[in-house]
Amino acid sequence: MTESSGDAAFLVPGTVEAAVEALGAAGAVALAGGTSIGLMVGQGLLAPSVLVWLGRIPELSVLEEEDGGMSIGATTTLAALAAHPRVRATVPALADAAASVGNTRVRAVATIGGAVGHADPRQDLPPALLALDARVEVAGRRGRRRLAIDELIDGFMSTVLDPDEVITAVRVPLVVGRRSCYLRYTPGSADDYPTVAAAATADVADGVPTAVRLAIGGAGPAAYLVPEAEELRGVPEGRWASATAEVAESAARRADPVDDRLGSAAYKRRMVAVWARRVLERCLGAEGALP
Amino acid sequence: MTLAWPRVAGPRVDARDKATGATRYSADVEPEGALHAAVVRSTVPHAEVLAVDASAALAIRGVTAVVTAQDLERRFGDELCGRRVRDMPLLARDKVRFSGEGIAVVLATTRQVAEDAAALVVVEYRELTPVLDALAALGPGSPRVHEAPWRYDGAVVDQSHPPNLQSELVEGDPVAVDEVLGRAAHVVTRTYRTPSGHQGYLEPQCWTASPRPGGRVALLGTVKAPYRLREQTAKTLGLALEAVEIDPVPLGGDFGGKGGVVDPTLCAALALWANRPVRLALRAGEDMSATDARHPSVVEVSVGCDADGALLALRVDAVFDGGAYAAVKPIPSANLHGMAECALGYRLEAFSVRSAIAYTTTLPKGHMRAPGAPQAAFAIESALDELASAAGVSPVELRRRSVLSGGDRDAYGHVWDEARGAETLDAALEAADAAPRPEDRERPGRRRPVPSGWRRGRGVALYARPTAPPATTSLRLAPGDDGRLVVELPFPETGTGSHSVVRDELAAALGVDPENVEVRQVSTGLLPYDPGVGASRVTVGLTAAVHQLASRWWESGGTEAVTVETGSGTDRPALSYCAQVADVAVDPETGQVLVSSVVTAADVASVLRPRSHRMQIDGGTVMGYGFACLEDLLERDGQVWAPNLAELRLPTAADVPSLRTVLVEGGRGVGPANVKAVGELTNVPTAAAIANAVAEATGRRVRQLPLTAERVFWALHGETGGETGDEARDEARGEARNVARGVARGEEGPA
Amino acid sequence: MKMHARVNGSPFVAEVPATSSLLEVLRGAGLTGTKEGCRIGVCGVCTVLVDNRPVSSCLYLAGCADGADIWTVEGMAEHAPSVVDAFVECEGMQCGICTPGQIVAVASMGPDVRDERDVRHYLSGNLCRCTGYGTIVEAALDAQARRRDEVAPA
Repeated sequence: MTESSGDAAFLVPGTVEAAVEALGAAGAVALAGGTSIGLMVGQGLLAPSVLVWLGRIPELSVLEEEDGGMSIGATTTLAALAAHPRVRATVPALADAAASVGNTRVRAVATIGGAVGHADPRQDLPPALLALDARVEVAGRRGRRRLAIDELIDGFMSTVLDPDEVITAVRVPLVVGRRSCYLRYTPGSADDYPTVAAAATADVADGVPTAVRLAIGGAGPAAYLVPEAEELRGVPEGRWASATAEVAESAARRADPVDDRLGSAAYKRRMVAVWARRVLERCLGAEGALP
Repeated sequence: MTLAWPRVAGPRVDARDKATGATRYSADVEPEGALHAAVVRSTVPHAEVLAVDASAALAIRGVTAVVTAQDLERRFGDELCGRRVRDMPLLARDKVRFSGEGIAVVLATTRQVAEDAAALVVVEYRELTPVLDALAALGPGSPRVHEAPWRYDGAVVDQSHPPNLQSELVEGDPVAVDEVLGRAAHVVTRTYRTPSGHQGYLEPQCWTASPRPGGRVALLGTVKAPYRLREQTAKTLGLALEAVEIDPVPLGGDFGGKGGVVDPTLCAALALWANRPVRLALRAGEDMSATDARHPSVVEVSVGCDADGALLALRVDAVFDGGAYAAVKPIPSANLHGMAECALGYRLEAFSVRSAIAYTTTLPKGHMRAPGAPQAAFAIESALDELASAAGVSPVELRRRSVLSGGDRDAYGHVWDEARGAETLDAALEAADAAPRPEDRERPGRRRPVPSGWRRGRGVALYARPTAPPATTSLRLAPGDDGRLVVELPFPETGTGSHSVVRDELAAALGVDPENVEVRQVSTGLLPYDPGVGASRVTVGLTAAVHQLASRWWESGGTEAVTVETGSGTDRPALSYCAQVADVAVDPETGQVLVSSVVTAADVASVLRPRSHRMQIDGGTVMGYGFACLEDLLERDGQVWAPNLAELRLPTAADVPSLRTVLVEGGRGVGPANVKAVGELTNVPTAAAIANAVAEATGRRVRQLPLTAERVFWALHGETGGETGDEARDEARGEARNVARGVARGEEGPA
Repeated sequence: MKMHARVNGSPFVAEVPATSSLLEVLRGAGLTGTKEGCRIGVCGVCTVLVDNRPVSSCLYLAGCADGADIWTVEGMAEHAPSVVDAFVECEGMQCGICTPGQIVAVASMGPDVRDERDVRHYLSGNLCRCTGYGTIVEAALDAQARRRDEVAPA
């Protein structure tokens, strides 16, 4: 006789160091809010031998401003992030992205660390954090390190993290006057994954952009940055329309979408151009046609 | 005696229990010592089953048996199962005809063990060419899904038909249509398509069967027609009718999907086979990919009018994908009643309706709220707008000229003493005009108003629906404890509020406090008969029965239990119109469609429970909105690609349009309570109203549902000059007509 | 693992696999008011409160619920009676299969959920196939108004 589904060990470390230690075991998987891990375990897609729950580590739930940045503990929930007055005031793209994920129940427990570490290209946070030039702080047996979003995520639902590494915080730069926007395109149900998503940040001085970043989600194996957005630097307002349209076309050229229920690859590519332009217009302060 | 029918609106009988979690549904019942069943399902659409290797499953602790078709045949014989056409085996015998078909069942001591073990059963297949397209299936040279479907018990086809024909339905006179269209000033002919869809009830199907002494079996589960299930189960398993008992339990939604075909009968067979209670609970994803779905359609409509825009003739040729088995369809034609009645709403000199349903190796297709009607209405009501455009009259005017009024003869020859087409249409338009303009209005769940630069459009669509005379049912009234009265019903509460209607109406008829009437669904052994919940017939039938029950109660002195069994009523049928006006905004850059509002005018007689009535209207409209804009099971290559609620999006509270309803009151209904049907009404015209609004907004016509942003986008931006991308790829224009005609002539379709 | 929690105000102990879902644990303990729906966190019929947060119990692992304060629909008459009353009086239900989840979700609403749009956004993850949502939204608004009145009597 053999047994049916085996039971996993469930560990609840109280410190990051203990979590790293626990994750050193073969077959160990970390979880925080558990919405993705719970789904995968429930559907039989994942059968870990050890589950390491990060929900009882005080260090991971701290959200604080420090010089020039905001450090967001990895287990900060998306609901907390979306409602946080300082996040809303300083990095609205992040608050909007967090408020867009899943539904009320998902946001109540899903965490920023999980949303990034899951590396699902349809998720809202990676493009927003990429545009915001955020850094992910990671702890492991080799010590601690900081990675940009596009260094962390190296493919479809894949990261460069070692099995024993755990995301501890996401650090978002705070720059006075920086504008940020996140737009997701959900033409069917607002609760669905976005067909495409676009995030931008812009520093504007005397009506002229001095720094612009644009990131796209849903249109490739991972969210990607559009470096051509930097070409908007120094462009006067009278030329924004044509300049943003050009950047948007670059964003579409860089897209690598797949055909799926949310749209054909050809359609998604066209939508990247539309939503890249719209998010840039909105971020630069021009009026855009948005639902 | 004359009974008064005051309108009562106390809380629903089931409200408090449902709001506190006390109501027990099928999945909440688990008999002591029950074995759990998990079905091993085919992963391929069409194949011979060469071998089933259950050794790994049988080695799992807790697995008691793996049951195959041969095991069941040895015990119960080789009868096939079905509601009308008996063409479906309880488990596949030698051959599977759709991905999801049951091949074997694991019985185990827990559900988890059964499911884990089922995943270990290895099936060896020899794959056959799948039959995936309904049009091709009816043409020459298609592989056969069934060798000789005319031999099945209850078959509605014969050997002269194409071998993959499940059923056909022919109404009207095609020759007369040709003649009348030949002299029409304007004629349009267009083809429309709709996808497969799930009924979308949120309670997965679940069954529990328990053996009883003497070879009897009791069955409880998600079925809306217990007496029919009893009949089907007895027949399939070779049992006497009395040997099968269907026990009462409320349903967590139905919408046509809980007629009960093989799974309940399979569960009963397993309990008898194992001589232990057996519980067969489907997971939601399994329910969505292995039970039954709405028929996808290809519908060609030809419609013509005279120079003034008065309709002359209508031809509807539809080919439906019926999937692997006809077993799910309950009506005698094994076709779709919505097709039979689809020419009802207008005065016409001639009409012709042909509906051919094809066997394919896909998920069997069954009933979903007004089966056939939403597909037909999408096609016909879209075509009417296209005709209006060709004739240079407004879509409203075109309809107003030809809707039925009292005394008119409909296309089928019936003269209606009351028909309120124009009144209903005008009520909807008046309400839509009285509301704030769409640009000033937001959808209820959306933060931002519709932005500038979007194109706005308004669309109208109509549906006409007969309310039939009361159907057979039965009720029993008995004195209960504490001086209360207990009324026993033969059908489950599916959610519509039918049990509350019985309580209210009986209390009113007897002049007692509704609080003193207890309503109870009982087992099939305790009442004579009921055909089950469906087809908008419940309120009419049961109010007629309540009327008789109350009379009988008084006649017998009001102390002894009385039972009534009503025959089919002979009342005049009534006609209800439903008119909907949809306002949309379309983003021309993306194709995104925002349906800002749907105004519904419903032609009603008496309304018994206003809030329950309203929920039938609102819920129907939201279902129509989902059909129009969102829902598609995505059956491709013989697989369901949207087998869960993350992929098959149902409308949410935030997605739905602003809904407004006008009741066109004062109508003549049917039966002593003077009511008209409402359950299968408002979900029917919604898709056409929205499609017509999108066409007005964009100048482009999308003839395929759902109306996704992408379809609208390519209609606007495609290289095909405004035809939809789907249609540009459709080289089969006219094929539905040819196939449907060929079927009607007893020929195979064109090459 | 041995899971210790409070469920509907009472101590609760169950010997369960840590990877079982909270839904299975509750239903296995006879609390069948919480329903199994889609099992992928989309439909909302399994909504329960864990430490005052609404969660999909189908996804929530028993291990994470250890030590938690859990409320299910069976406890709502005690925990949020005005919500239960509002659903009964507004007839915010038809088949009732989504009702436990709707009621628990409304019970978790904060005072910031005030108008129709707030309610629809908050409840967008609690599907209903029957009602068209109108009466559910009315029940939620009614419940929120009752609770405001309870907090700050006129």
